Amino acid sequence: MNNDLIIEGLTKQFVTSNSVAIADVNITVKEGTFTTLLGPSGCGKSTTLNCVAGLEQPTAGSIRVGDFVMTDTARDLILPPEQRHLGMVFQSYALWPHMKVFDNVAFALKLQKRPSDEIKQRVQESLALVGLEELADRYPFQLSGGQQQRVALARAVVSRPKVLLLDEPLSNLDAKIRESARIWLRGLQQQLGITTVYVTHDQSEAFAMSDMIAVMSMGKLQQYAPPEEIYERPANRFVAEFIGVTSFITGILQNVDGKKATLKLASGELLNIRKENKSDYVWKEGEQTAVAIRSERVEVLTEGASERENTVKAQITTRTYLGSKWQYTVETSGGSLRLESTDAIQGDSLFMYLPPDSIILLAG
Amino acid sequence: MTTVEQNLRPIATTRPKFSWDSGVQWLVVIVTALLVAFPAWPIILQSFMSKPLYEENRAFTFDNYTNLLGNARFWDVLVYTAAFAVATTIIAVIIGIVLAVIINRTNIPLRNLYSNLVTIPYYVSPLVLAFAWMQMYGPQGFGTILVRTLKLPIWQLYSFGGIVIVSAMYYIPYTFLYATSSLALADPQLESAARIGGASPFRTIWSVTIPLLRPAITYSALLTLVSSFELLSIPLVLGNSVGIDTLATYLYVIGVVGVNKDQGAVAAVAVLVVILVTGLVYMQSKLVSLERRFVTVGGKATRPKAIDLGGWKGIVSLFVGLYVLLGIILPLGCIVLTSFVPFLSPFMNPLKMLTLENYQGIFGSPAYRQSVVNSINISIFAAAIGIVFMAVAALIAYRSTFKYRNAVKYMALYPRAFPGIIVGIGFLWAFLLVPGLGSLRNTIIAISIAFIMRYLPLGFSAVSPAVLQVSDELDRAGRVAGATWLGTIRHILLPILKPALVSGYILLAISFLKEYSTALFLVAEGSRVIGTTMLELWKQGGAEPVAALSTIQMAITAVLIIGARKLMGVKLHE
Repeated sequence: MNNDLIIEGLTKQFVTSNSVAIADVNITVKEGTFTTLLGPSGCGKSTTLNCVAGLEQPTAGSIRVGDFVMTDTARDLILPPEQRHLGMVFQSYALWPHMKVFDNVAFALKLQKRPSDEIKQRVQESLALVGLEELADRYPFQLSGGQQQRVALARAVVSRPKVLLLDEPLSNLDAKIRESARIWLRGLQQQLGITTVYVTHDQSEAFAMSDMIAVMSMGKLQQYAPPEEIYERPANRFVAEFIGVTSFITGILQNVDGKKATLKLASGELLNIRKENKSDYVWKEGEQTAVAIRSERVEVLTEGASERENTVKAQITTRTYLGSKWQYTVETSGGSLRLESTDAIQGDSLFMYLPPDSIILLAG
Repeated sequence: MTTVEQNLRPIATTRPKFSWDSGVQWLVVIVTALLVAFPAWPIILQSFMSKPLYEENRAFTFDNYTNLLGNARFWDVLVYTAAFAVATTIIAVIIGIVLAVIINRTNIPLRNLYSNLVTIPYYVSPLVLAFAWMQMYGPQGFGTILVRTLKLPIWQLYSFGGIVIVSAMYYIPYTFLYATSSLALADPQLESAARIGGASPFRTIWSVTIPLLRPAITYSALLTLVSSFELLSIPLVLGNSVGIDTLATYLYVIGVVGVNKDQGAVAAVAVLVVILVTGLVYMQSKLVSLERRFVTVGGKATRPKAIDLGGWKGIVSLFVGLYVLLGIILPLGCIVLTSFVPFLSPFMNPLKMLTLENYQGIFGSPAYRQSVVNSINISIFAAAIGIVFMAVAALIAYRSTFKYRNAVKYMALYPRAFPGIIVGIGFLWAFLLVPGLGSLRNTIIAISIAFIMRYLPLGFSAVSPAVLQVSDELDRAGRVAGATWLGTIRHILLPILKPALVSGYILLAISFLKEYSTALFLVAEGSRVIGTTMLELWKQGGAEPVAALSTIQMAITAVLIIGARKLMGVKLHE
């Protein structure tokens, strides 16, 4: 039986302000995979997650796991959270301070009125899974942040839910622990094979852990794709801007011919573009458009290479020393760009090379 | 993997029609609405009626209002009440702030002792405080006679000034406590920054510490203004013999004592007072939310260093000590001493006349004994029921998705606009009018219900901050783990909130023990409480039995406070 998590047409509108928290979100999370909802704060990612958990009520849409329907506004069905059989880890971990670790993990099983032998065994299994079986008798305040986060995870999976929801569970950890926790969490998810929805605003977390990333902004789903595709083929200007360090160059499209085109800058300089890596943008001859390029794909050239294809001259406006590299802001006739180089560049101007297959044409 | 199979049960197509969650939520909203509306409707109705509600042939009329507004006496009383409330507020707030800054921020000797002693009036009934000052500084008071025999200039306690000073004494702890907790929250770096900028200690207090107290000042000033506006006991005890009336005593006189009780006039006064106080309460909530910008919750654990007053610290400590001694210790000590002697006089050594006669008199009389028992029962049981109800109301208001959760909040806070004496009038008429309820007046049930209504705002506001401090992720986690809303409350929120509930309970129990104004109208043969008996005895002129009852009330309060502190480590006041 297929147990994909299917979110369809999810919309939440605030009655009072008439503003929209999320609008028509459609996401299918394949059984056993890891999907991240990624976006800036206020983009609707937490609202979406809370609607799945039943902690918030959408105004329209449906949510189901396989044929277990949890929300379907068309049928006036919104199950309360306690009837959804989900696991969830909260940003603050939300460990109940008056219960020992054991009781925190056992809570869901006690509510299900399981026999105490079974509860004991399953809590132990769950704690063993996160490597904390020795700490069952501690109170949450006696644990470190990392340990608390693991207890929260043990508590979330102890009743063997089919979907695990994670609301920025790593954001309260120290930067160093966070990276190892990321790897550990992804490993655990794969070991359990549990369908997981993860909310974060941290792109490196999203890229490191996810099978699929859903980029959200202003309550709308901007792109839902595997990490590589999100990075290489952003669907629109928001995704391109939000992910990575991206610059935009404005010019006029010329010589549109099958898989090739040329962008003419105001200075007359020409940039060749190849279509293989681009989004499904429709090319239009003579149209003024902005193309995107990742700053790490821009190559800074040594003097004299200006005759090469796709080379643009730029004025340096700011230079910042970052230790491992230099970061420059430069001004071209098509707009300003940010780029990085390990070289300390002398003088006020430089030449740079923009590889034709790294230039991204965007809709909107 | 039984759990997984459970997930695959047939799809529920409709929401469950009844759940315990919504059952309890509806119950609480309906009971709250009834509690607030029950005493309000007979008053409003009566104010437009030509005859008492229980009489036939009554007609709709505006006469009650027109008569009242044309009554010069009413306007005198209104102006007098306003002057009294404003004067009391100014004195209470200034002294409260000064005490809070001195005791919390400077290095005067004995400051830890003072910080406990200055809050005593908070726990004492204003009725007891009035009697205490009367015993000490009244025309026949111990202290007055002593000073008179020394041929020193004498004062008149039964006057505007006297009433204002005693009332201010009662309200100073409110400002002191709010200012103290505000000082504890303020970021000490703000003071350090002023010192580094070149400000002297005094300048720092004046330019940084006190301005940061503005929210506490605003809040306690309006609280004092509203409370003194409706204060009955102190103006009654000290002003009665010289013909001074405030709105509360005026209502008491025309409604309880008066020969021709004009119910229409009582109702009209009550409605006007409620409207006035509603305005004040509304102003209070507006101003307090405006003052939010001054709140600097740094969550810093470090306490700032006490400001060194140098050579001044002895003098300042002496002044605070005199305040505590003359204002609190001597009057209250005097009333305790009075309760153990046949009469108190500076010319006879009281220690040679010690007796338990006054207590024997109280406990020997079934009616007086019953009032003590009733007060204790109300404190223990009605406060317990009350705090549970108020806690559930707060949880609905702040921790549910219930449709009318905001209505619960407003309704629970609205009784702030009802002075106790008016709550009593409303409940009295309502109990008399609804067939079958009249007999409840002879039990403590009627008074308990009225007390719970009157103190809904207190219990609700005592529990609310604690509720709001608990991260809502804790109850969300409970819901996701499979608990219903009620299950989450039972297993997660109530255990976490236990300390707040216990201190709320003690606060409510003390308030119920102190309360008298709500009971004045409602009281019947079997439902006397300490406060009503005290007023009864006072009218008969028995200073010593009154002193005994006061001492009993203070002793019970002390047991409650010390018990709460020792047993549960509970801190009272927010």
